[in-house]
Amino acid sequence: MEKIIVKTDQMWKQVLNQVQDWSRLNSLWAIHFNSGSCNGCDIEILATLTPRYDVERFGIKLKGSPRHADILIATGPVTRQARERLLRVYEQMPAPKFVVAVGTCSISGGAFLGCYNTLGGIDQVIPVDVFIPGCPPRPEAIVDGIIQLLTALKTGTFTAPQKPIVVQENWL
Amino acid sequence: MNDEQTLQQAEKLLAPFNKETLHPETHRLDVVVTSEDLHAAVTALHDAKWGYLCAITGLDNGPEANNLEALYHFAQDSVVTTLRVRAPRSPAASVPTIADIIPPAVFFERELHEMLGFDVKGLSDSSRLFLPDDFPPEVYPMRADFKQDQPVPVIEVGSETFPNEPTKIGNTFIVPIGPQHPALKEPGHFEFTVDGEVVTGVRMRLGYAHRGIEKAAESRNWIQNLYLFERVCGICSHIHATAYCMGVENLAHVEVPARAQAIRELVSGLERIHSHLLWLGVAAHEAGFDTLFMYSWRDRETVMNILENLTGNRVHYSANVLGGVKFDVDLEHARTIKEGLDYLEGRVRHYLEVVTTDAMLLQRTRGIGTITRAEAERYGLLGPTARASGVIRDIRVEAPYGAYHRFPISAIVETAGDLEARLVVRLKEMLVSCFTLRTIVDNLPAGELTARMPRKVPAGETISRVEAPRGELFYFIKSNGTENPARVHIRTPSLCNWTSVLEKAVGHQLADIPMMIAGMDPCFSCNDRLVTVVRPNESRTWTWRELREYGIEHYRDLKNISEA
Amino acid sequence: MNIISSLFTLLIFPAGLTILLVGLFYEWMDRKLVARFQNRVGPRWFQPLADAVKLFSKEQIEPPVMTALLFFGLPITAIAGALAAGLYVPMLGLAPSYSFPGDLVVTLYLLSLMTLSIGLAGWNMTSRFSLVGATRTLTQLCAYEAPFLLALLGPALAAGSWQISEVNAYASQHWMILTQPVGFVVALIGLMGKLELPPFDAPEAETEIVAGALTEYSGRGLAFFNLGKSVELIIGLTLVSSFYLGGLTSLPLFLIKTIALLGLMALLQSLLARLRIDQTVGLWWRYGALLGLVQIGFMIAWR
Repeated sequence: MEKIIVKTDQMWKQVLNQVQDWSRLNSLWAIHFNSGSCNGCDIEILATLTPRYDVERFGIKLKGSPRHADILIATGPVTRQARERLLRVYEQMPAPKFVVAVGTCSISGGAFLGCYNTLGGIDQVIPVDVFIPGCPPRPEAIVDGIIQLLTALKTGTFTAPQKPIVVQENWL
Repeated sequence: MNDEQTLQQAEKLLAPFNKETLHPETHRLDVVVTSEDLHAAVTALHDAKWGYLCAITGLDNGPEANNLEALYHFAQDSVVTTLRVRAPRSPAASVPTIADIIPPAVFFERELHEMLGFDVKGLSDSSRLFLPDDFPPEVYPMRADFKQDQPVPVIEVGSETFPNEPTKIGNTFIVPIGPQHPALKEPGHFEFTVDGEVVTGVRMRLGYAHRGIEKAAESRNWIQNLYLFERVCGICSHIHATAYCMGVENLAHVEVPARAQAIRELVSGLERIHSHLLWLGVAAHEAGFDTLFMYSWRDRETVMNILENLTGNRVHYSANVLGGVKFDVDLEHARTIKEGLDYLEGRVRHYLEVVTTDAMLLQRTRGIGTITRAEAERYGLLGPTARASGVIRDIRVEAPYGAYHRFPISAIVETAGDLEARLVVRLKEMLVSCFTLRTIVDNLPAGELTARMPRKVPAGETISRVEAPRGELFYFIKSNGTENPARVHIRTPSLCNWTSVLEKAVGHQLADIPMMIAGMDPCFSCNDRLVTVVRPNESRTWTWRELREYGIEHYRDLKNISEA
Repeated sequence: MNIISSLFTLLIFPAGLTILLVGLFYEWMDRKLVARFQNRVGPRWFQPLADAVKLFSKEQIEPPVMTALLFFGLPITAIAGALAAGLYVPMLGLAPSYSFPGDLVVTLYLLSLMTLSIGLAGWNMTSRFSLVGATRTLTQLCAYEAPFLLALLGPALAAGSWQISEVNAYASQHWMILTQPVGFVVALIGLMGKLELPPFDAPEAETEIVAGALTEYSGRGLAFFNLGKSVELIIGLTLVSSFYLGGLTSLPLFLIKTIALLGLMALLQSLLARLRIDQTVGLWWRYGALLGLVQIGFMIAWR
């Protein structure tokens, strides 16, 4: 009798987990943060909302409040003035949360590596889960990066991938 | 009046103060004045209505010369007169302020002060403009002895004016930040003091996107710098690259082939279209008109396609090389361009109709933020913001460069000076661009795409002024004959246009502020600023979104609540 | 038996869970229609459901609040009020589960409970901007509340009853959109104002309830408020189409009429910048209310 109860319990948990994961994969709310970029990446991110790309059909919504968001899409080489705010936004997001660094500047500092006012990339300040290189990456590449993140999460227990995903620039 | 006469006129006006005259380029006059005479010299130019203040460049002439130099650039048509003031490094390089004569100078002087350590006597506001709050106080990045890779201590505490807990300062509260915003943004900070609904004071803090590019340029060679300057701004990257290339080509006395210049103008025009459409969508979004935002950005994809087809990238086209352009325009490209332009022209005409007839949009734009012609000149506004007030300030017309001699454009000017006029100006500019671009595509001069450039650029100083989508872009480049530039100074148009908001905001309703800021089209995004609204009893930090929605709801409720 | 059947009615069908699911479906349709008007594809049919489930599984962060009880309790009152209101309307074309004379007023109060909860939730935050956001919202919603009430009063007077089921029955004989067109427009716009549908935030992507009041909510609390909003949508649609579009007496009629109304609302949402909404509302509030009152006076006299 006990075995059956335990099994039902586990099955129930499993079903709940699957429903949970399904919902997380299909409803991704993002918040965008510009830590001092030239705006090139930001306009491509914004372009993903517009009719040609329309990410709402994947369930991705851009929100205004960090408290409502699941992923943080960050651009820019992190200027010193923006650093604290970036941290604050990250801290305000509830778990589970992930970070997507868009653009070469957010990965390594890009063209601004070595400048006195930049810190050289988002991962100098917060942990990053996906790197999307490009200057700027195309909107398709940005969406691809996010989908790759979701795919990686699907196979796990929805914890951050061990090694950050780097999107290969196939979008030529 | 041609250049010669203009130059002579300037020389005559400055004769009493003239310590030394130089002619670095044919259309330029450099006059050395002492810092005591500076004020009088500027007054002389200003009273004679000779030109307008373009920019103020600060130079560090190095430890041997042991002085700093401030260059005050005044431009009239193609002629630039520069007042050079040398100040010894110590005790403190001191210059008087000219902001009392020319109000917009205050931004330039603040930059002089914080980047080079000039002591500007009489400067009303010497708070930090670009450098972060936690930058050590006596360190001046643009000085020769500041090495780019020297570690600059980060002072942790109090680095931002956004504490975690609500704090009370006098009668006001400052509350920590709220939401971020997805739309185009480069964070900046405004502080509005309000009395009820009316704005009574404004303060502004920029610097969130300050990356230290000018300093970085000094340690990169001429070619590397091209890729750096492209990335000053993602929206107007080509025009930055063009200005830089023009300057370097001038220094090296290299003549760019006609075909390359025409292609540069072509890409410039396409960039202008993309930038204005982007801005239209963003402004519509500010007004609560999301459908227009979606439609205009959808149409913008046409231009992105053309640019990608032509150059290989949607943003950061990297069309320029020193000496010319990278790629050619063949028949296939020409066909694509013209098809795209035809489509866009139809769409822009439609938007023009929308903007001038849509009741809700007009309510947010007609008669709001009106800047008269006199005010526009006094504030030193540039670009479409100035042209909407009747000031014909367009470098392509006043001081044509590159292929604009061959393919001129007509300047679009409106007189109303309100937000609606600014919308109309930009839309009409797109139409002009369409027309000009078609002409270029059909009449591309034959020839080479590049000219040979020397690796080391001869010593000298040059100024290039071009018309970015937002106004006049000013580059000052100094070479000392090596592989790296000695100094590059960039003055972006948005810096000049902030005054339009800061001065005009006072007396307007808080609800109008989002549209007013959008109306000047800051090159660095305008959509997410943190705004502190200071009321007599409480002040709180609003996010841009809140301010925008406040504006939208305010107008929605305007009649509603007064009836209810 | 009675208790069990009551509970079933309350929690599963035709109230409770049913209303929730129907609400989610209508939320999807609204988003999809607006997206299509904006020349986009729009979300998939299960999107609102995925959103809700996801929110439930998020960590709930407790920001500094004045009263913890309010912080946890207000989302519940919001959804409870909204769901309770569903008991009295002809949901899915079936007769209202519970009905008594005067239930129109009760329903409207229950719907307002939702708004009040949002307002209190914002006030509860120590962050002052939530407070002002909440105050602003409440002020605005009250402004729309009055015309909305007045617009529903018209048909009620025509039917001679404060009971929704009786108005519904009367409406199925008379299409009041024809006899009281002004009331219909006022009801429509009042409904849109109440639901905060007019898009005043970013690229369709952000359909947050209120700027400010709900910013600090995450996880379960936010999920409840969002669900409450969907429920409010369907109940509002049901009321207005029942009163003005000829009553809801069967499921197919329900679907057709409410979807038609939703289509109209979505169209207005996308075009809304074309209507000078404050002038329109002011106009309707002035002339509409006046005409409505005149109409009501006329009806009373005629009786």
